[in-house]
Amino acid sequence: MKKYRAARLVGLCLTLPTMLSVVGCGEKKRENKVILGNITELSGDFRFSAFEGSNPGAADLDVFSLTNGYSTMETDKNGTYHWNGTVVKSHTEEEIAGADGSTDYKLTIELKEGLKLSDGSPVTADNYLAYILACSSVVATQAGSPAMAGQAYVGYDAFRAYDGKNEGAGATRIFSGVRKEGERKFSLTIDGPDYYPYYYVDIYGGVSCYPVTAVLGEDVEIKDDGQGCYLSNNWYASESKTEGGKQVTTYHKAAHLNSARYDTSSYPYSGPYKLAEWDKTTNTATLKINEYYEGNFEGQKPRIETVVYTKVVSETQFDQLKSGAVDVLAGLTGGDDVNKGLSLVKEGGYKETHYDRAGYGKIQFECDFGPTMFAEVRRAVSYLLNKNEFASTFTGGYGSLVYGPYSRNLDVFKTAGGKDFEESLNKYEFSTGSAKQSLIDGGWVYRADGSAYDEAAGGIRYKKLSSAEATKENIAYKGVTSEGAAYRTVKVGNDYYMPLVINWFCTENNPVSDLLTTYYVGSNNLSGVGMLVTKTVGSFTQLMGEIYRSTAYGYSGTPTYGMLNLATGFTSEIYDYSYNWSVDPAYFGYSACKLFDPYDYTFAYKDHSGLDYDAAVESGGNKLGMDYLSMGMVYSAQKGNKEEFAKWWKAYITRWNSLVPEIPLYSNIYYDVYNAKLKGMETTPFRGVAETVLYCSVG
Amino acid sequence: MAKYIVKRILYMLLVVLILSFLIYLIFDLVPFDRAKWLVEKQKDVYKDNPEGYQRAYLEFRRRLGLDENVFVRYLGWLGLARINGSYNGILQGNFGYSYNFSRAATEVLSEPMKNTVFINLFAVVLALAITIPLGIFCAVKRGTRRDTAVQVFTIVGYSMPTFITAILFICFFAVIIPIFPVIGMKTPGSNYTGIRKFFDQLYYMALPLIVMTFCSLGGMTRYVRSSMIEALSMDCIRTARAKGLKENTVVYSHAWRNALVPVITLVIGWFLSVFSGSIMIENIFALNGVGIKYIEALQTNDYEVALLLQMFYVAVSLLGNLIIDISYGIADPRVRVAK
Repeated sequence: MKKYRAARLVGLCLTLPTMLSVVGCGEKKRENKVILGNITELSGDFRFSAFEGSNPGAADLDVFSLTNGYSTMETDKNGTYHWNGTVVKSHTEEEIAGADGSTDYKLTIELKEGLKLSDGSPVTADNYLAYILACSSVVATQAGSPAMAGQAYVGYDAFRAYDGKNEGAGATRIFSGVRKEGERKFSLTIDGPDYYPYYYVDIYGGVSCYPVTAVLGEDVEIKDDGQGCYLSNNWYASESKTEGGKQVTTYHKAAHLNSARYDTSSYPYSGPYKLAEWDKTTNTATLKINEYYEGNFEGQKPRIETVVYTKVVSETQFDQLKSGAVDVLAGLTGGDDVNKGLSLVKEGGYKETHYDRAGYGKIQFECDFGPTMFAEVRRAVSYLLNKNEFASTFTGGYGSLVYGPYSRNLDVFKTAGGKDFEESLNKYEFSTGSAKQSLIDGGWVYRADGSAYDEAAGGIRYKKLSSAEATKENIAYKGVTSEGAAYRTVKVGNDYYMPLVINWFCTENNPVSDLLTTYYVGSNNLSGVGMLVTKTVGSFTQLMGEIYRSTAYGYSGTPTYGMLNLATGFTSEIYDYSYNWSVDPAYFGYSACKLFDPYDYTFAYKDHSGLDYDAAVESGGNKLGMDYLSMGMVYSAQKGNKEEFAKWWKAYITRWNSLVPEIPLYSNIYYDVYNAKLKGMETTPFRGVAETVLYCSVG
Repeated sequence: MAKYIVKRILYMLLVVLILSFLIYLIFDLVPFDRAKWLVEKQKDVYKDNPEGYQRAYLEFRRRLGLDENVFVRYLGWLGLARINGSYNGILQGNFGYSYNFSRAATEVLSEPMKNTVFINLFAVVLALAITIPLGIFCAVKRGTRRDTAVQVFTIVGYSMPTFITAILFICFFAVIIPIFPVIGMKTPGSNYTGIRKFFDQLYYMALPLIVMTFCSLGGMTRYVRSSMIEALSMDCIRTARAKGLKENTVVYSHAWRNALVPVITLVIGWFLSVFSGSIMIENIFALNGVGIKYIEALQTNDYEVALLLQMFYVAVSLLGNLIIDISYGIADPRVRVAK
C-alpha cells in the first residue's frame, strides 16, 4: 500500500508540470510576432527621450524608438541624418541678421497634411513645438530636466528665466526664436554666433513629435501673436509657500511631466508601433502596429503585427533563442558566444548578420601630470603592447583594430580616403626598440641620482623636469602599490627627476584589464626599456572619480593614476569633439584626457577662428593643435562641405594619432543571431535590432 | 504578555533608530556624489559653458542638502530637519527617490516585492510540506537505508550552489526535456486573464520554484530530523510508549511538540524570508524581484532604494524576533512570559 502511495506521489510530481506545460504551450501556431530582448531591464521610461539630459537605458530606448516617429529628421543605416520626407512637406533655410548683430540661421518647416497619431488625432505644429517650449522652461527644471531642449534657438535664455510672473528685463514668456507660423508650419531660428555657423546646424531642425497633452497636459495652449511662441498661463500655475525663511514655488505641471513620462496608456504614439501593454510585474512590453503610421523617412511601414520586448539572461540566452523565448540575440561578441551563435546557424533554423562595432575599447591617459603627460611615454606604452595579438585574443578572432578615434563605418572616414588614409597613420606596432627610442627622444635618459641611464645595468628610467614641468603634482609624483612604492620624483641638486612609473587604475571584474595585466604588469618588455606599470583595481565609481578629479567619488585630491582603461562609441555620423581639447582648465570637466597641445598655445582657435582649413594651415605654420582642429572641424567648415570637413577630420585624426592620448585596443565585430522566420534583418552599427524591425517581416 | 510586547516594541523602535543611523552613515561613507552624477547627465548641454556646469552642480548640491553635515542629512531623511527649505522625509511619507528609475523608491520596489512574496510563499509552503514530514520520517527511521538515502539526497541539494542547480535544472527540464520555459514570468505577448493568467504564471514560476525548493530541502530536513531524534530520546517519550500509546500519537503529539521549539525559529525565519529576494534565482530566471533590485541599486549607487530595502529588512527581522519569542511561549508553556 505504501509503495502505491509513493508511486502516486511520483506520478503527481511528473504530471503537474506536464499539465502546466500543456496549459502554457497551448498555442504553437506561427504568429506575425517577434520577441526581442535585451540584457538591460525595461523600466517604463518610454515617453520622452533624454528628458534628464542623457538617454534612458538601452532597452527603454528600443521601445522609445519603436513607439516614437515622425521626427522632422531621421538617421539612415549609416547614421546619416536626412530630412523626413514622409513628414516634412517643405523646409527652407536662410541666414538672417540677429538682433545682437550676429548672423542667425532660420529653418522653416512645413508639415504634410493627413498625418495622424495612433489615436487618429491629427499631427500639427503643436506636436513639435510642445516639447521644445516645455523643456526649455523653469517648470521642466523642477521636474528634473536640464530644460535645454531649445538652447540653440534665439531667445532661449530669456524664456528659460521666465517663472510665470517675472516678465521684464532678462525674462519673457515669449520664445522669440520659436515660431508657430500656421497649423502645420513652424520655424526655428538658430542663435549665432554660439550655435551658427556650425557644420551640423541642420540637426537643430530635427524635432521629435510628441502628443501635446502628454507634454503640456489638457489645459495648456501654444500661442504665437507674431513675436514668438509662448505657453498659456496654466503652464506656470504654481503655489508658493515660505519654508525656513525661503520662498518655495511648486509648479503643478512639473508633477504632470513626471507622471506623463511613465504614463504608457493615456496618450497616443507617433511611431510605427503603439504600446499595447506594459506589464510592470514582468517588465515586458507588448507593441502592436500603429495603423495610422505613414512610414519613416524612406516611407517604410512596419509589417510585423506584434513586437514583444522582454529580458534576456546572458547565461541562458542561447537556450532562450532555441526555445523561442526570444527571436533575436543581438550584439554577440567574443569567441565563445559568437561560435555558439554560428553553430546554431549551421544547425539550421537561424540566421546571422554581423557588423563592425562603431567604437572601441581603449587605454586612456591623463595627460596633465606624471610620465603620461609626455607624448613620448604614451607612444612607448603603445609600442609595448602587441595590439593585434591583444585584439585577436580578446575578441576571440571576431574583432579588429583602429588607430585613432574613428569607426570605419563613419561617412567621413570614407570621404577622407578610408583604408588609404588609415595606412598613413602610425600603427605603433609592437617594438621594444621603438619604445626605447621614443623614451630616449623624450629625455628619459637618467637614473635616480641624476647620472646618465646605464642600458646595461637597466632599472627604472628618470627624466629631468624642466622648470615648467616641475609642477606641484609632478614634484609629489610617486608610484603606488608595493611594486611602485619605491619610486618617486627625487630632487638632485636643484633639479627634479621623475621615475618612469605609470600608475594604472582599472575596474574590477573586467576581462580587458585582466588581459592587459599580462602585457604590462611585471612584463620583461617593460623592465627591458626601464618602465614600470603598477596596477590598482577599484570600482567604476572610483574610476569616474579619477577622471572627474572629484573627491566625492573617492579621488584622493592628488592626481595619481595616469593610465585608465574603458570604452567609447559613436551613435551617429555626428563627429563633434569641440571643447574636448581646450587648453583652458575651466573646460576640464568636459575634457577626457586633460591634454594641452602645445600648438594650441602658439596658434589658438579663439584668436584665429573662421579660417578654412588651408588658410589655417598656412597661418598656423602647419602646426594646428587638437583644440584648433576639433573646433575648426565643426565651427569653420561650412555646412554640407564634406571635403572641407574631411580635411579637418584627417588632420585631427593624424594629430591625435601622433599625440596618443588614448590607445585603441580592439573593436569588436557584433553578431546578431535570429530566428530564420524573420526576413529582412539587416542591422548596422547605427541601426539596432529595434529600428530594423521596421524593415522586417515574418515569413 | 501585553506589557511584554509593548516593552519589546519600544526596544525595537530604539534599535531601528540606532540601526537606521548606522546604516545611513555607512551608505554616506561610500564615495559617491549624487550632485556630480546628476550634472554629468547634463554634461553635453554645458559643453561650451563651464561656469553654467559649475552653477548647475552647486545648485544640485544645495537641492539635495549635500552641503549640510551627515547628521542634518540623516535627520532630513527621517523628516526631522529641513533639506532645501522643507521637511520632506520618511515622517512626511517620502521613503526616498530612485535616481536610476526617476521615481519614488517605494514605486520601484512595490512590483518586485509582490513577485518575490508570490514565489517565496509558494516555495516556503512547498518546502515545509516536504521537509517536516521527511525530517520526522528520517528521525523515526533513523539509521535505515531510507534515512541514509534521504540524507545523501538532501546534502547534495544543500551543498550545491544555487546557480549550478538552476542551470542544471534549466538544462534538463527546459532544454533537453522541454517541459518548462527557460526564463520569464509569463508567455511573452500573452494577455491572459483570470485563471488562465494564474496558470500561465504558475507554469513560468514552476521551474524556479522547484529549484528553490530543492535547494532548501537539505537544511530543514536535517534540522527537523536532529530535533526529532533528540525529542524521541526523552524520558517522557519512553514513558508514553510504555503507557501503550499509539506510535503516531507518541511521534506527532509528544515528540513533535518537544521538537517544535528549535524548529519554530527556522520555520518563522523562513516565512519572514518571503520578503527577501534570491539574487541568483531572480537573475537566472529573469524574475523581477527585490533581490535583483537590491543588488542593482548597490551596483548603480541608487542608495536611497538600497537604504529603504535595508531598513525594511531591519524592521522585518526585529518583528520576526518578537514573533519567534511569542511563538516559543505558544509551543512550550514552560517558556511563556508570565508578566
